[in-house]
Amino acid sequence: MAHIPDGLLTLPVLIGTGALAAGGVALGLRALDDRAIPRVALLAAVFFAASLVAVPVGPSSVHLMLSGLMGVMLGWGIFPAVLVALALQAALFGLGGLTTLGTNTLNIALPGALVGMVLGPMIRSATSPARAGALAALGAVLAVAGTAAGVALALFLSAPEFTPAVKVLGLTYLPLALVEAGVSGAIVTFLARVEPHALHPNLHSVEDQPA
Amino acid sequence: MTRLTLLPLTLIATMAIASPAAAHGMKVFAKVVGGEVSGYGFFIGGGRPQGVAWQADMGATALAEGQTDAMGAFAFAAPKAVTAPVIITLNTGDGHIARATLGPERFGAAPVALPAQQENAPSPAAPAPEVAAPDVAALVEAAVAREVAPLMERLEQMDNRMRVTDLMSGIFLIIGLAGMALWARGRRK
Repeated sequence: MAHIPDGLLTLPVLIGTGALAAGGVALGLRALDDRAIPRVALLAAVFFAASLVAVPVGPSSVHLMLSGLMGVMLGWGIFPAVLVALALQAALFGLGGLTTLGTNTLNIALPGALVGMVLGPMIRSATSPARAGALAALGAVLAVAGTAAGVALALFLSAPEFTPAVKVLGLTYLPLALVEAGVSGAIVTFLARVEPHALHPNLHSVEDQPA
Repeated sequence: MTRLTLLPLTLIATMAIASPAAAHGMKVFAKVVGGEVSGYGFFIGGGRPQGVAWQADMGATALAEGQTDAMGAFAFAAPKAVTAPVIITLNTGDGHIARATLGPERFGAAPVALPAQQENAPSPAAPAPEVAAPDVAALVEAAVAREVAPLMERLEQMDNRMRVTDLMSGIFLIIGLAGMALWARGRRK
């Protein structure tokens, strides 16, 4: 799924997505401060561990990504978090591959970062925790859809015969999106209630000014 | 911050306890026994890709294709002459693609090479046992393949087994990275 293995993508796709991912990581690293570092590390650890809990769905198998949640909580910091976690997954578990690291980072982190950028301010200024949770659930669905589209596009550009079928994508990504929505919504509702500051990627700079 | 710290840690702990050996990613296991190539796809951590398109190629030539059964299995007749590695590809259609490559050596290594070896060995040492050398070679080959198949399967599984130690080392690596980043920032001030 989101972990495209080595040897499927063509060089231009690898280089293009790699460069974009590197740009995202640079943006993320620039935004890191003393408060952000442990947050990025914690969510990277959660993402790293979450992808090891796979649930068979239909002909395939899925796992949580929580990229929407990460985008809201980390902003562009999602890029370094995802990069580190994916590198470890590739090295320790053989998920994905080292050459596709950039592609996979981009596919997972970019939708999350965009969700954080667009929905983040609305979530933080939401009037009630439940409302924040609902917005986060929507963000999670959008992030999953973005990742599915990214994976499909990367495969289409490289090897059209491997382009995921829309029907199968719907079959596997839809349940995933719903579960992601539930989990992200619950976490954000909880955080909005007990620790609203946790939802801000950066307390010092102007609210939601990415990069 | 304490509450914030607790939440992900609880999540991690839950996940680690819930399913330490589970993971994600598809693999293909293939074996050659008695002129037939068979095997199955599996998801690391459980589950088989059912009713999924598979395809076998040798170099540029397509050997066989079909759909996996309820156990995620496939089978096809081994090619007569193996000129290039045989590659079996499973594609679930949602971006999970896995391949297994069977080199020529997995097909009983060239019907040419093996009998030649056999002839070299017995002829100077023991004069002519009753059975013809190629027959023995084929029998031994089949027997060994049969014996080795479960072993190979086990190896493949072990290869992909996720261990709690791997998980923990990854998490602590991340914590270490965070520590290094904080230290570097602290020095710069």
